[in-house]
Amino acid sequence: MIDGGKGAGGSGGNGNARIAVDKLVVSYAGNVVAVNGVSFTVGKAEHVTLLGPSGCGKTTTLRAIAGLEQPTGGSIHVDGRTMYSAAERVNIAAEGRGVSMVFQSYAVWPHMTVFDNVAYGLRVRKQNATQIKENVDRALGLVQMRHLADRAASKLSGGQQQRVALARAIAFSPTVVLFDEPLSNLDAKLRAEMRVELRELQRRLEITSVYVTHDQEEALAISDRVIVMNVGVIEQIGTPEEIYNRPRNRFVADFVGSANLIKGRVLGAPDGHGIMTFEAAGGIMLKAVAAGNVTGTQTEVAVRTAYMDIGAGNAGDNQLPGVVRRRMFHGDFVQYVVDCASGQMIVRRPPTNLIAEGTNVVLSFPAEFCVLLEA
Amino acid sequence: MISASMKSMDPALEESARVMGASKLRTTLTVTLPLVLPGVLGATLFVFAEMLGSFAAALVLGIPGRIYVITTSIWSTVEAFPPNYGKAAAMGLSLFLIMVIMLTGYRYVVTRGSYATITGKAFRPRPMDMGRMAWVLYSLCLLYIVLAVVLPVASLLLTSFQTFATVILSQAKFTFANYEEAFALAPVRQALFNSIVLGIGVATVGAIVMALLVWIIYRSTMRGRGWVEYLAMFPSSVPRLVFGLGLLWAWINMPGGLYGTLWLLGIAYFTVLLPLGVRTIAGVVLQIDKSLEECARVCGASWGYQMRTVTLPLLKPGIIAAWMLLFAASVREVGASLLLMGPHSKVIGPSIVSTWANSGTQLTAAMALIQTFVVMLALIILFRVTRGTTRELS
Repeated sequence: MIDGGKGAGGSGGNGNARIAVDKLVVSYAGNVVAVNGVSFTVGKAEHVTLLGPSGCGKTTTLRAIAGLEQPTGGSIHVDGRTMYSAAERVNIAAEGRGVSMVFQSYAVWPHMTVFDNVAYGLRVRKQNATQIKENVDRALGLVQMRHLADRAASKLSGGQQQRVALARAIAFSPTVVLFDEPLSNLDAKLRAEMRVELRELQRRLEITSVYVTHDQEEALAISDRVIVMNVGVIEQIGTPEEIYNRPRNRFVADFVGSANLIKGRVLGAPDGHGIMTFEAAGGIMLKAVAAGNVTGTQTEVAVRTAYMDIGAGNAGDNQLPGVVRRRMFHGDFVQYVVDCASGQMIVRRPPTNLIAEGTNVVLSFPAEFCVLLEA
Repeated sequence: MISASMKSMDPALEESARVMGASKLRTTLTVTLPLVLPGVLGATLFVFAEMLGSFAAALVLGIPGRIYVITTSIWSTVEAFPPNYGKAAAMGLSLFLIMVIMLTGYRYVVTRGSYATITGKAFRPRPMDMGRMAWVLYSLCLLYIVLAVVLPVASLLLTSFQTFATVILSQAKFTFANYEEAFALAPVRQALFNSIVLGIGVATVGAIVMALLVWIIYRSTMRGRGWVEYLAMFPSSVPRLVFGLGLLWAWINMPGGLYGTLWLLGIAYFTVLLPLGVRTIAGVVLQIDKSLEECARVCGASWGYQMRTVTLPLLKPGIIAAWMLLFAASVREVGASLLLMGPHSKVIGPSIVSTWANSGTQLTAAMALIQTFVVMLALIILFRVTRGTTRELS
């Protein structure tokens, strides 16, 4: 697998890149800018996810790579071929790009059988009957749908349609597959299953893929790298662990996972280990790290709710005394709302050793999980 | 039109009013009606404009009582000797102007007023349980159908088998003579044949051309597709008689010899029926998920291949429906044909009108029923032939 950490900067010049998107701009009539200068690369066999709330431009970016959306600026390269370039006035039509795509609505053609659906891309490529039979069989086998090849596509369940759409997208052996929220119409249990299968398939076939979702859990679970987007720009690029442990700014900390934000100010420059002192509201001193440069203008640190320990006074880099205000039992975890001098903190702990509401507690957490956010 | 806005309304909107404690009547008055008002208002304007331009009913029912409406006065001005084309054109243009204003109003209301009811969320329209009121309302609808459809057709049927028209059954003498006469008259046979040929031609060419037009209007990114839509809908604001008059006047003076041929009638039918066909197919095009087509392109299909393998097969039910409507409307056409048919291009609709004016009611009734029967037969055959394909997709 590709070491995602190295590509975190994401510029167009990467030689190994299967997909290179550079300063992409997509705007609609009426000066609505959907994508505003997005740049990233995707390496060979890498699985990159575009994550963001609805309207952040993630789907538009994906459709621009597919050739379904006409950009207004920047460039898109796939396998070294210029697919779109504003400067060179190149814009290759969707059918000429050779990339494949799985649509949110599956887009399984209801007037064809499962076999015809999967064979479509092969027939377009003028393969002979034996090749078509072979490739369709292989693709349907990969999604465990071979027994339904002759079924009319309109008589399939949602999960089966999803599998057909997937088989169709990989049948003609594309090097790049784009996924537009492919699991969002499935129920929770099936979604979790398909997530695992998709990841398996992607690894086995060594497909380069770009995946769009608004589900942060899904994004973290199946990606080599995650690109967090908001209002048409990229907020952060990194491995799932980087995004979760070192959110760069307030948006990423808030949108991905759940985090406590503590206001205050930076005292002095970071030491040799990159650790600095942060004075939180209420006068409490915290040890914190920064994802980027420390400029002195930053006024917030983020601590993941899962990284705070709750007890009578544990050892740790940082300690916040407080009172448990509210306890909510969620099953897999227990969520405490704790009143501290620096504000209300949310803490998630395993459902063992329940602490009663009204108890005086100390929240403790290591410096490396107390991340200074960009202003 | 009204049913579309009813169907697109989330029943939760009404249900929440009921949950808040409003009665059925109150819910209808305060929630349902305000929400469908744009649809109802639009339909009112549309029907008003249609009525202004209607001709056949006004002619048959109005003239005996010397009640003239604008379309029939235009007709009598042209039919009078010497025909006063200037006066007819002036009347036609003023009628045209009123209809343009009404239909602009309709478009304004429909495009601006469709608030709140259309959401992206899936819901199932739910019929309201009317209790015992259902039977009363059902009877009212049934009564209307009897008065408006069954009664006229039944009396036509009765008249067509009588030697002279009477509703007093004890005096009636029944005969097949009217049908024999209708089929024996060469001009009637020719007119019927011409109408069927025109119907098949206009429906076939029309359905395909209109399907492509609709695709361009709603699916392409072509510049000026808004204008294409406007142009396609424009004929609905031109009264058919006035359109016929304009076309007649244009082609009488133009070289090419189209005047008096079936070609001219074909052009007229195509134009006049354009809005009907486009509206029918548009309903189906809008239901087809755009990604079905996009997926074909991403799979590597060219535009032509995508149209042939995905779009047109999916549009089949819509195209068949449009074909049937266009065929039926062509064979029934009166308004535009009246002035455009020549001695060698007679069609059935206006022939029935002139038979009614010149000979007996019985013969007219027989001809009208023959026309109705032909349309029904054609539609039944088409329906039988295509039933398999439409059922599979619906």
